[in-house]
Amino acid sequence: MIRSLSFFSVIILFLAASCSTKMISNKYYQEQKGTVDSIESRYEKLNAKKPFALAFTDKKLNIVSIEMISDTLTRIYEFNPGEKRLADSLLKYNYDTSGVNYLIRKMQQTKVTWINSVDYYVNDQPQQLIYLSIKPVTFRYLFSPPQYLALGYFRTAQAFDEKGRLLDNRRTKRVRKIKGQVFYRITDRICYTITEKYR
Amino acid sequence: MINYKILARHYRFLLFLFLLSITGSEQILASDLLAKTRSTKAEALAFLEKIDQTKETSLWPNVKPKLFYDNLKLNLEDPGTFYPGRSTYFCGYGALSYLVMEKDPLGYVKFMNELYDKGAATFHTTHFKPSAAVVQAAGTLKFKGVLDIRHAEQVWFLVLADHYKGYLNFFNKKFQEGDENSFWASTNLSKFVNMVNKLCNVHVSAVGSDLIKPWVKDVYSYLEKRIDSTTISLYINNRIIHKKNHDKIKFSIPTHYIILRQISRQGDVITLRYWDYGGETEMQISNRTLKKIIFGIITIDK
Repeated sequence: MIRSLSFFSVIILFLAASCSTKMISNKYYQEQKGTVDSIESRYEKLNAKKPFALAFTDKKLNIVSIEMISDTLTRIYEFNPGEKRLADSLLKYNYDTSGVNYLIRKMQQTKVTWINSVDYYVNDQPQQLIYLSIKPVTFRYLFSPPQYLALGYFRTAQAFDEKGRLLDNRRTKRVRKIKGQVFYRITDRICYTITEKYR
Repeated sequence: MINYKILARHYRFLLFLFLLSITGSEQILASDLLAKTRSTKAEALAFLEKIDQTKETSLWPNVKPKLFYDNLKLNLEDPGTFYPGRSTYFCGYGALSYLVMEKDPLGYVKFMNELYDKGAATFHTTHFKPSAAVVQAAGTLKFKGVLDIRHAEQVWFLVLADHYKGYLNFFNKKFQEGDENSFWASTNLSKFVNMVNKLCNVHVSAVGSDLIKPWVKDVYSYLEKRIDSTTISLYINNRIIHKKNHDKIKFSIPTHYIILRQISRQGDVITLRYWDYGGETEMQISNRTLKKIIFGIITIDK
Protein backbone atom coordinates (compact mmCIF):
# COMPACT_ATOMS: atom_id res chain seq x y z
CA MET A 1 0.00 0.00 0.00
CA ILE A 2 2.73 2.44 1.06
CA ARG A 3 4.73 1.45 -2.01
CA SER A 4 1.73 2.19 -4.29
CA LEU A 5 1.14 5.51 -2.61
CA SER A 6 4.78 6.46 -3.02
CA PHE A 7 4.70 5.43 -6.65
CA PHE A 8 1.63 7.60 -7.37
CA SER A 9 3.08 10.51 -5.39
CA VAL A 10 6.25 10.39 -7.48
CA ILE A 11 4.22 10.26 -10.70
CA ILE A 12 2.04 13.21 -9.61
CA LEU A 13 5.09 15.22 -8.56
CA PHE A 14 6.77 14.44 -11.84
CA LEU A 15 3.72 15.50 -13.85
CA ALA A 16 3.24 18.62 -11.80
CA ALA A 17 6.84 19.63 -12.18
CA SER A 18 7.39 18.72 -15.78
CA CYS A 19 7.62 21.34 -18.51
CA SER A 20 6.50 24.79 -17.56
CA THR A 21 4.05 26.59 -19.85
CA LYS A 22 6.81 28.88 -21.04
CA MET A 23 8.90 25.98 -22.23
CA ILE A 24 5.93 24.50 -24.12
CA SER A 25 5.05 27.74 -25.82
CA ASN A 26 8.55 28.76 -26.82
CA LYS A 27 9.32 25.31 -28.06
CA TYR A 28 6.17 25.03 -30.12
CA TYR A 29 6.54 28.46 -31.64
CA GLN A 30 10.22 27.92 -32.50
CA GLU A 31 9.42 24.56 -34.11
CA GLN A 32 6.55 25.93 -36.20
CA LYS A 33 7.84 29.49 -36.60
CA GLY A 34 8.00 29.52 -40.41
CA THR A 35 4.52 28.12 -40.94
CA VAL A 36 2.85 30.13 -38.17
CA ASP A 37 4.43 33.37 -39.37
CA SER A 38 3.34 32.65 -42.95
CA ILE A 39 -0.24 31.99 -41.76
CA GLU A 40 -0.20 35.34 -40.00
CA SER A 41 1.13 37.26 -43.00
CA ARG A 42 -1.25 35.53 -45.43
CA TYR A 43 -4.18 36.31 -43.14
CA GLU A 44 -3.09 39.93 -42.82
CA LYS A 45 -3.18 40.36 -46.60
CA LEU A 46 -6.53 38.62 -47.08
CA ASN A 47 -8.11 40.40 -44.13
CA ALA A 48 -7.03 43.81 -45.43
CA LYS A 49 -9.02 43.16 -48.62
CA LYS A 50 -12.16 41.94 -46.86
CA PRO A 51 -12.28 41.36 -43.09
CA PHE A 52 -12.97 37.92 -41.68
CA ALA A 53 -12.01 35.60 -38.82
CA LEU A 54 -11.56 31.83 -38.74
CA ALA A 55 -12.02 29.35 -35.91
CA PHE A 56 -11.96 25.59 -35.63
CA THR A 57 -14.80 24.77 -33.28
CA ASP A 58 -14.22 21.04 -32.77
CA LYS A 59 -11.39 19.13 -31.17
CA LYS A 60 -10.25 17.41 -34.37
CA LEU A 61 -10.26 20.68 -36.30
CA ASN A 62 -12.76 19.38 -38.84
CA ILE A 63 -15.35 22.14 -38.48
CA VAL A 64 -14.38 25.65 -39.45
CA SER A 65 -16.41 28.65 -38.39
CA ILE A 66 -15.97 31.68 -40.58
CA GLU A 67 -16.99 35.18 -39.56
CA MET A 68 -17.55 37.30 -42.65
CA ILE A 69 -17.42 40.87 -41.48
CA SER A 70 -18.93 43.87 -43.25
CA ASP A 71 -19.78 47.37 -42.00
CA THR A 72 -23.37 46.47 -41.29
CA LEU A 73 -23.41 42.75 -40.59
CA THR A 74 -21.23 39.87 -39.42
CA ARG A 75 -22.23 36.52 -40.87
CA ILE A 76 -21.11 33.44 -38.94
CA TYR A 77 -21.31 30.10 -40.70
CA GLU A 78 -19.83 26.68 -40.00
CA PHE A 79 -18.50 24.32 -42.66
CA ASN A 80 -16.35 21.29 -43.16
CA PRO A 81 -13.14 22.43 -44.89
CA GLY A 82 -13.38 21.54 -48.56
CA GLU A 83 -17.17 21.56 -48.50
CA LYS A 84 -18.75 23.12 -51.60
CA ARG A 85 -20.99 25.36 -49.49
CA LEU A 86 -17.86 27.03 -48.08
CA ALA A 87 -16.53 27.94 -51.53
CA ASP A 88 -19.99 29.10 -52.63
CA SER A 89 -20.34 31.36 -49.60
CA LEU A 90 -16.87 32.83 -50.01
CA LEU A 91 -17.62 33.54 -53.64
CA LYS A 92 -21.02 35.02 -52.86
CA TYR A 93 -19.56 37.52 -50.40
CA ASN A 94 -16.54 38.37 -52.60
CA TYR A 95 -13.76 36.69 -50.63
CA ASP A 96 -10.58 35.33 -52.19
CA THR A 97 -11.83 31.73 -52.27
CA SER A 98 -8.53 29.98 -53.00
CA GLY A 99 -6.63 32.22 -50.57
CA VAL A 100 -9.02 31.54 -47.68
CA ASN A 101 -9.16 27.82 -48.48
CA TYR A 102 -5.36 27.63 -48.46
CA LEU A 103 -5.29 29.44 -45.14
CA ILE A 104 -7.83 27.02 -43.65
CA ARG A 105 -5.73 24.02 -44.75
CA LYS A 106 -2.54 25.53 -43.32
CA MET A 107 -4.27 26.34 -40.04
CA GLN A 108 -5.62 22.80 -39.81
CA GLN A 109 -2.15 21.32 -40.41
CA THR A 110 -0.47 23.60 -37.86
CA LYS A 111 -3.29 23.31 -35.29
CA VAL A 112 -4.06 27.00 -35.39
CA THR A 113 -7.55 27.15 -33.88
CA TRP A 114 -8.39 30.84 -34.27
CA ILE A 115 -7.16 33.84 -36.19
CA ASN A 116 -8.55 37.34 -36.24
CA SER A 117 -7.62 40.98 -36.26
CA VAL A 118 -7.92 42.90 -32.98
CA ASP A 119 -8.21 46.67 -32.85
CA TYR A 120 -6.67 48.75 -30.08
CA TYR A 121 -5.83 52.39 -29.53
CA VAL A 122 -2.62 54.30 -28.88
CA ASN A 123 -2.99 58.04 -28.21
CA ASP A 124 -6.61 57.66 -29.34
CA GLN A 125 -5.46 56.41 -32.76
CA PRO A 126 -6.57 52.98 -34.04
CA GLN A 127 -3.99 50.21 -34.34
CA GLN A 128 -4.35 46.55 -35.21
CA LEU A 129 -2.74 43.34 -34.17
CA ILE A 130 -3.24 39.84 -35.48
CA TYR A 131 -4.27 37.39 -32.78
CA LEU A 132 -3.96 33.68 -33.35
CA SER A 133 -4.14 30.71 -31.04
CA ILE A 134 -2.68 27.24 -31.35
CA LYS A 135 -3.68 23.98 -29.72
CA PRO A 136 -0.43 22.07 -29.27
CA VAL A 137 -0.73 18.44 -28.25
CA THR A 138 0.17 18.51 -24.57
CA PHE A 139 -0.50 16.50 -21.48
CA ARG A 140 -3.58 17.61 -19.60
CA TYR A 141 -4.37 17.08 -15.93
CA LEU A 142 -7.73 15.64 -14.97
CA PHE A 143 -10.36 18.44 -14.65
CA SER A 144 -7.83 21.05 -15.67
CA PRO A 145 -8.89 23.48 -18.38
CA PRO A 146 -7.49 23.17 -21.90
CA GLN A 147 -4.46 25.27 -22.72
CA TYR A 148 -3.83 27.22 -25.87
CA LEU A 149 -0.82 29.13 -26.99
CA ALA A 150 -1.98 32.58 -28.09
CA LEU A 151 0.24 34.80 -30.20
CA GLY A 152 -0.11 38.50 -30.79
CA TYR A 153 1.54 40.00 -33.89
CA PHE A 154 1.89 43.76 -33.62
CA ARG A 155 2.77 45.95 -36.61
CA THR A 156 5.30 47.99 -34.67
CA ALA A 157 7.85 47.27 -31.94
CA GLN A 158 6.32 47.10 -28.46
CA ALA A 159 7.59 47.88 -24.98
CA PHE A 160 8.32 45.06 -22.52
CA ASP A 161 9.51 45.13 -18.92
CA GLU A 162 12.52 43.25 -17.51
CA LYS A 163 10.35 40.16 -17.01
CA GLY A 164 9.42 40.23 -20.70
CA ARG A 165 5.83 41.34 -20.01
CA LEU A 166 4.05 43.43 -22.63
CA LEU A 167 3.58 47.04 -21.48
CA ASP A 168 1.10 49.74 -22.43
CA ASN A 169 4.01 51.96 -23.36
CA ARG A 170 7.54 52.73 -22.24
CA ARG A 171 6.58 55.64 -20.00
CA THR A 172 3.75 54.21 -17.87
CA LYS A 173 5.24 50.76 -17.26
CA ARG A 174 1.66 49.53 -16.92
CA VAL A 175 1.33 45.88 -17.94
CA ARG A 176 -0.99 45.59 -20.91
CA LYS A 177 -3.51 42.79 -20.88
CA ILE A 178 -5.11 41.41 -24.02
CA LYS A 179 -8.37 39.58 -23.30
CA GLY A 180 -7.43 39.67 -19.64
CA GLN A 181 -4.08 37.94 -20.21
CA VAL A 182 -0.52 39.12 -19.66
CA PHE A 183 1.59 38.57 -22.78
CA TYR A 184 5.33 37.80 -22.90
CA ARG A 185 7.99 38.76 -25.38
CA ILE A 186 9.07 36.52 -28.24
CA THR A 187 10.40 39.29 -30.46
CA ASP A 188 9.88 43.06 -30.18
CA ARG A 189 6.77 42.67 -32.38
CA ILE A 190 5.49 39.21 -31.40
CA CYS A 191 4.34 38.10 -27.95
CA TYR A 192 2.59 35.10 -26.47
CA THR A 193 0.55 33.84 -23.57
CA ILE A 194 -0.92 30.57 -22.38
CA THR A 195 -4.68 30.76 -22.12
CA GLU A 196 -7.69 28.58 -21.39
CA LYS A 197 -9.66 30.08 -24.26
CA TYR A 198 -8.69 30.10 -27.88
CA ARG A 199 -10.62 33.31 -28.58
CA MET B 1 -5.10 15.53 -10.42
CA ILE B 2 -8.08 17.74 -9.66
CA ASN B 3 -7.43 21.35 -10.42
CA TYR B 4 -8.46 22.81 -7.07
CA LYS B 5 -7.33 26.26 -8.15
CA ILE B 6 -10.10 26.41 -10.73
CA LEU B 7 -12.66 25.03 -8.27
CA ALA B 8 -11.56 27.51 -5.62
CA ARG B 9 -11.83 30.37 -8.06
CA HIS B 10 -15.42 29.56 -8.94
CA TYR B 11 -16.78 27.99 -5.78
CA ARG B 12 -18.82 30.99 -4.72
CA PHE B 13 -20.41 31.21 -8.12
CA LEU B 14 -21.10 27.47 -8.17
CA LEU B 15 -22.63 27.70 -4.72
CA PHE B 16 -24.94 30.44 -5.89
CA LEU B 17 -25.96 28.51 -8.95
CA PHE B 18 -26.75 25.56 -6.73
CA LEU B 19 -28.90 27.69 -4.44
CA LEU B 20 -30.59 29.23 -7.41
CA SER B 21 -31.40 25.87 -8.90
CA ILE B 22 -33.46 25.09 -5.81
CA THR B 23 -35.75 27.99 -6.56
CA GLY B 24 -36.52 26.57 -9.99
CA SER B 25 -37.76 28.28 -13.09
CA GLU B 26 -39.39 31.58 -12.52
CA GLN B 27 -41.70 33.80 -14.44
CA ILE B 28 -41.02 37.47 -14.04
CA LEU B 29 -43.59 40.04 -14.86
CA ALA B 30 -42.61 43.62 -14.41
CA SER B 31 -44.98 46.40 -15.18
CA ASP B 32 -44.52 50.09 -14.68
CA LEU B 33 -47.26 52.37 -13.55
CA LEU B 34 -45.39 55.50 -14.53
CA ALA B 35 -46.28 57.42 -17.64
CA LYS B 36 -44.28 56.30 -20.66
CA THR B 37 -41.46 58.68 -21.54
CA ARG B 38 -40.66 58.92 -25.20
CA SER B 39 -38.42 61.23 -27.16
CA THR B 40 -36.89 61.37 -30.60
CA LYS B 41 -33.39 61.36 -32.00
CA ALA B 42 -33.95 64.83 -33.49
CA GLU B 43 -34.86 66.26 -30.06
CA ALA B 44 -31.78 64.67 -28.54
CA LEU B 45 -29.45 65.98 -31.26
CA ALA B 46 -30.93 69.47 -30.93
CA PHE B 47 -30.26 69.35 -27.17
CA LEU B 48 -26.70 68.17 -27.74
CA GLU B 49 -25.95 70.95 -30.24
CA LYS B 50 -26.72 73.60 -27.62
CA ILE B 51 -24.19 72.20 -25.14
CA ASP B 52 -20.66 73.53 -24.83
CA GLN B 53 -18.83 70.38 -25.85
CA THR B 54 -15.36 71.62 -24.96
CA LYS B 55 -15.97 72.13 -21.23
CA GLU B 56 -13.55 70.29 -18.99
CA THR B 57 -14.45 68.89 -15.60
CA SER B 58 -12.42 67.84 -12.60
CA LEU B 59 -15.25 65.53 -11.55
CA TRP B 60 -14.21 62.99 -14.20
CA PRO B 61 -10.41 63.31 -14.21
CA ASN B 62 -9.75 60.83 -17.02
CA VAL B 63 -12.64 61.63 -19.32
CA LYS B 64 -11.74 63.76 -22.34
CA PRO B 65 -14.51 66.21 -23.31
CA LYS B 66 -14.05 65.69 -27.05
CA LEU B 67 -14.18 61.90 -26.77
CA PHE B 68 -17.16 62.16 -24.41
CA TYR B 69 -19.30 64.44 -26.58
CA ASP B 70 -18.25 62.86 -29.90
CA ASN B 71 -19.36 59.57 -28.40
CA LEU B 72 -22.73 60.99 -27.31
CA LYS B 73 -23.29 62.28 -30.84
CA LEU B 74 -22.44 58.87 -32.29
CA ASN B 75 -24.81 57.18 -29.81
CA LEU B 76 -27.62 59.41 -31.03
CA GLU B 77 -26.85 59.22 -34.73
CA ASP B 78 -26.28 55.48 -34.75
CA PRO B 79 -27.52 53.79 -31.55
CA GLY B 80 -26.53 50.40 -32.94
CA THR B 81 -22.87 51.27 -32.44
CA PHE B 82 -22.98 50.95 -28.63
CA TYR B 83 -20.01 48.72 -27.85
CA PRO B 84 -19.71 47.09 -24.40
CA GLY B 85 -16.05 46.26 -24.97
CA ARG B 86 -13.97 43.18 -25.59
CA SER B 87 -13.75 40.66 -22.71
CA THR B 88 -15.94 42.72 -20.36
CA TYR B 89 -19.07 41.67 -18.48
CA PHE B 90 -20.96 44.68 -19.84
CA CYS B 91 -23.13 42.83 -22.41
CA GLY B 92 -26.29 43.26 -20.29
CA TYR B 93 -25.76 47.02 -20.19
CA GLY B 94 -25.08 46.95 -23.93
CA ALA B 95 -28.50 45.38 -24.62
CA LEU B 96 -30.05 47.83 -22.15
CA SER B 97 -28.44 50.76 -24.01
CA TYR B 98 -30.01 49.59 -27.25
CA LEU B 99 -33.44 49.63 -25.59
CA VAL B 100 -32.92 53.00 -23.88
CA MET B 101 -31.91 54.61 -27.17
CA GLU B 102 -34.97 53.14 -28.82
CA LYS B 103 -37.28 54.71 -26.21
CA ASP B 104 -35.72 57.88 -24.89
CA PRO B 105 -32.56 59.24 -26.55
CA LEU B 106 -33.21 62.73 -25.17
CA GLY B 107 -33.44 61.32 -21.64
CA TYR B 108 -30.13 59.55 -22.21
CA VAL B 109 -28.24 62.58 -23.47
CA LYS B 110 -29.65 64.86 -20.73
CA PHE B 111 -28.70 62.31 -18.11
CA MET B 112 -25.17 61.91 -19.45
CA ASN B 113 -24.64 65.66 -19.66
CA GLU B 114 -25.83 66.15 -16.08
CA LEU B 115 -23.67 63.29 -14.90
CA TYR B 116 -20.66 64.88 -16.61
CA ASP B 117 -21.39 68.32 -15.15
CA LYS B 118 -22.38 67.38 -11.60
CA GLY B 119 -20.97 63.91 -11.01
CA ALA B 120 -24.47 62.63 -10.23
CA ALA B 121 -27.76 62.57 -12.12
CA THR B 122 -31.27 61.17 -12.26
CA PHE B 123 -32.62 59.07 -15.09
CA HIS B 124 -36.43 59.04 -14.94
CA THR B 125 -36.86 58.19 -11.25
CA THR B 126 -33.50 56.58 -10.51
CA HIS B 127 -30.71 58.64 -9.00
CA PHE B 128 -27.13 57.67 -9.85
CA LYS B 129 -24.18 58.76 -7.72
CA PRO B 130 -21.13 56.80 -8.88
CA SER B 131 -18.44 55.72 -6.44
CA ALA B 132 -15.02 57.44 -6.43
CA ALA B 133 -13.38 54.32 -7.90
CA VAL B 134 -15.73 54.29 -10.87
CA VAL B 135 -15.28 58.03 -11.47
CA GLN B 136 -11.52 57.46 -11.50
CA ALA B 137 -11.77 54.47 -13.86
CA ALA B 138 -13.95 56.11 -16.51
CA GLY B 139 -11.76 57.06 -19.45
CA THR B 140 -9.00 54.63 -18.52
CA LEU B 141 -10.43 51.32 -19.81
CA LYS B 142 -7.90 49.97 -22.29
CA PHE B 143 -7.69 47.20 -24.84
CA LYS B 144 -11.46 46.86 -25.05
CA GLY B 145 -11.62 47.65 -28.76
CA VAL B 146 -13.31 50.87 -29.75
CA LEU B 147 -14.61 51.31 -26.19
CA ASP B 148 -11.09 52.62 -25.44
CA ILE B 149 -11.94 55.92 -27.12
CA ARG B 150 -15.65 56.02 -26.27
CA HIS B 151 -15.57 57.90 -23.03
CA ALA B 152 -19.33 58.42 -22.74
CA GLU B 153 -19.96 54.68 -23.04
CA GLN B 154 -17.24 53.98 -20.45
CA VAL B 155 -19.02 56.36 -18.04
CA TRP B 156 -22.46 54.90 -18.85
CA PHE B 157 -21.50 51.22 -18.45
CA LEU B 158 -19.45 51.79 -15.31
CA VAL B 159 -22.16 53.90 -13.67
CA LEU B 160 -24.86 51.34 -14.46
CA ALA B 161 -22.75 48.47 -13.14
CA ASP B 162 -21.90 50.48 -10.03
CA HIS B 163 -25.54 51.25 -9.29
CA TYR B 164 -27.47 48.08 -10.09
CA LYS B 165 -26.62 45.03 -8.03
CA GLY B 166 -27.93 41.49 -8.24
CA TYR B 167 -26.95 38.32 -6.45
CA LEU B 168 -24.12 37.70 -8.92
CA ASN B 169 -22.46 40.88 -7.66
CA PHE B 170 -22.91 39.93 -4.00
CA PHE B 171 -19.25 39.13 -3.30
CA ASN B 172 -17.79 41.88 -5.42
CA LYS B 173 -19.69 45.11 -4.96
CA LYS B 174 -16.85 47.62 -4.84
CA PHE B 175 -15.11 48.42 -8.08
CA GLN B 176 -11.40 47.74 -8.34
CA GLU B 177 -9.19 48.04 -11.41
CA GLY B 178 -10.08 45.32 -13.92
CA ASP B 179 -13.52 44.64 -12.43
CA GLU B 180 -15.18 45.43 -15.74
CA ASN B 181 -14.04 41.89 -16.62
CA SER B 182 -15.40 40.31 -13.44
CA PHE B 183 -18.63 39.44 -11.62
CA TRP B 184 -18.72 43.03 -10.36
CA ALA B 185 -20.22 43.91 -13.76
CA SER B 186 -22.36 40.83 -14.41
CA THR B 187 -26.13 40.90 -14.79
CA ASN B 188 -28.60 38.21 -13.80
CA LEU B 189 -32.01 38.02 -15.46
CA SER B 190 -34.12 39.74 -12.79
CA LYS B 191 -31.58 42.56 -12.54
CA PHE B 192 -31.77 43.01 -16.30
CA VAL B 193 -35.58 43.12 -16.26
CA ASN B 194 -35.48 45.61 -13.38
CA MET B 195 -33.01 47.86 -15.24
CA VAL B 196 -35.06 47.80 -18.45
CA ASN B 197 -38.21 48.54 -16.51
CA LYS B 198 -36.69 51.46 -14.65
CA LEU B 199 -34.75 53.05 -17.51
CA CYS B 200 -37.09 52.42 -20.42
CA ASN B 201 -40.31 53.10 -18.53
CA VAL B 202 -42.24 50.48 -20.46
CA HIS B 203 -43.93 47.20 -19.73
CA VAL B 204 -41.39 44.36 -19.64
CA SER B 205 -42.12 40.68 -19.24
CA ALA B 206 -39.79 37.73 -19.15
CA VAL B 207 -39.85 33.97 -19.12
CA GLY B 208 -36.96 31.81 -17.99
CA SER B 209 -34.38 32.10 -15.24
CA ASP B 210 -30.65 32.13 -14.58
CA LEU B 211 -30.44 28.38 -14.48
CA ILE B 212 -33.55 26.78 -15.88
CA LYS B 213 -34.71 27.32 -19.43
CA PRO B 214 -38.12 28.86 -20.12
CA TRP B 215 -41.07 26.52 -20.13
CA VAL B 216 -41.99 27.24 -23.69
CA LYS B 217 -43.11 24.37 -25.89
CA ASP B 218 -41.93 25.75 -29.21
CA VAL B 219 -39.30 28.44 -28.75
CA TYR B 220 -39.19 29.37 -32.44
CA SER B 221 -42.97 29.95 -32.64
CA TYR B 222 -42.90 31.87 -29.36
CA LEU B 223 -40.28 34.27 -30.73
CA GLU B 224 -41.76 34.53 -34.21
CA LYS B 225 -45.18 35.41 -32.79
CA ARG B 226 -43.79 38.32 -30.75
CA ILE B 227 -40.95 39.74 -32.82
CA ASP B 228 -43.05 42.19 -34.84
CA SER B 229 -45.09 43.58 -31.97
CA THR B 230 -42.38 43.78 -29.26
CA THR B 231 -38.64 44.20 -28.89
CA ILE B 232 -37.12 40.92 -27.79
CA SER B 233 -33.96 40.48 -25.77
CA LEU B 234 -32.58 36.99 -25.24
CA TYR B 235 -30.49 35.76 -22.34
CA ILE B 236 -28.37 33.04 -23.89
CA ASN B 237 -25.56 30.61 -23.31
CA ASN B 238 -23.11 32.14 -25.76
CA ARG B 239 -20.50 29.46 -25.08
CA ILE B 240 -22.41 27.01 -27.28
CA ILE B 241 -22.67 29.17 -30.39
CA HIS B 242 -19.47 31.09 -29.79
CA LYS B 243 -17.15 28.43 -28.44
CA LYS B 244 -14.05 29.52 -26.59
CA ASN B 245 -12.48 26.13 -25.98
CA HIS B 246 -12.84 22.60 -27.30
CA ASP B 247 -14.20 20.98 -24.17
CA LYS B 248 -17.31 18.97 -24.83
CA ILE B 249 -18.63 19.32 -21.29
CA LYS B 250 -19.71 22.86 -20.62
CA PHE B 251 -21.66 24.50 -17.83
CA SER B 252 -25.19 25.01 -19.01
CA ILE B 253 -25.54 28.60 -17.89
CA PRO B 254 -26.47 31.82 -19.63
CA THR B 255 -23.61 34.21 -20.34
CA HIS B 256 -24.80 36.86 -22.74
CA TYR B 257 -27.62 39.26 -23.66
CA ILE B 258 -28.61 39.99 -27.23
CA ILE B 259 -31.38 41.88 -29.01
CA LEU B 260 -33.20 39.66 -31.48
CA ARG B 261 -33.73 41.49 -34.78
CA GLN B 262 -35.01 38.75 -37.12
CA ILE B 263 -35.75 35.06 -37.01
CA SER B 264 -36.69 32.71 -39.83
CA ARG B 265 -36.80 28.96 -40.40
CA GLN B 266 -36.11 26.75 -43.39
CA GLY B 267 -36.45 23.08 -42.58
CA ASP B 268 -34.47 22.53 -39.39
CA VAL B 269 -32.20 25.49 -40.03
CA ILE B 270 -33.07 28.62 -38.08
CA THR B 271 -31.49 31.89 -39.16
CA LEU B 272 -31.05 34.36 -36.34
CA ARG B 273 -30.13 37.96 -36.81
CA TYR B 274 -29.28 39.72 -33.58
CA TRP B 275 -27.64 42.83 -32.23
CA ASP B 276 -24.79 42.81 -29.75
CA TYR B 277 -21.38 44.49 -29.43
CA GLY B 278 -22.05 47.41 -31.73
CA GLY B 279 -23.39 45.54 -34.72
CA GLU B 280 -25.66 42.87 -36.14
CA THR B 281 -24.74 39.24 -36.53
CA GLU B 282 -26.43 36.58 -38.60
CA MET B 283 -26.02 32.91 -37.87
CA GLN B 284 -27.69 29.62 -38.62
CA ILE B 285 -28.48 27.10 -35.92
CA SER B 286 -30.71 24.08 -35.49
CA ASN B 287 -34.00 24.12 -33.58
CA ARG B 288 -32.34 21.96 -30.91
CA THR B 289 -29.51 24.46 -30.45
CA LEU B 290 -31.97 27.34 -30.24
CA LYS B 291 -33.76 25.59 -27.39
CA LYS B 292 -30.44 24.74 -25.76
CA ILE B 293 -29.01 28.25 -25.70
CA ILE B 294 -31.99 30.30 -24.51
CA PHE B 295 -32.44 30.82 -20.76
CA GLY B 296 -34.46 34.00 -20.79
CA ILE B 297 -36.82 35.67 -23.24
CA ILE B 298 -37.47 39.28 -22.36
CA THR B 299 -40.20 41.07 -24.28
CA ILE B 300 -40.36 44.83 -24.17
CA ASP B 301 -43.30 46.89 -25.40
CA LYS B 302 -42.49 48.90 -28.50
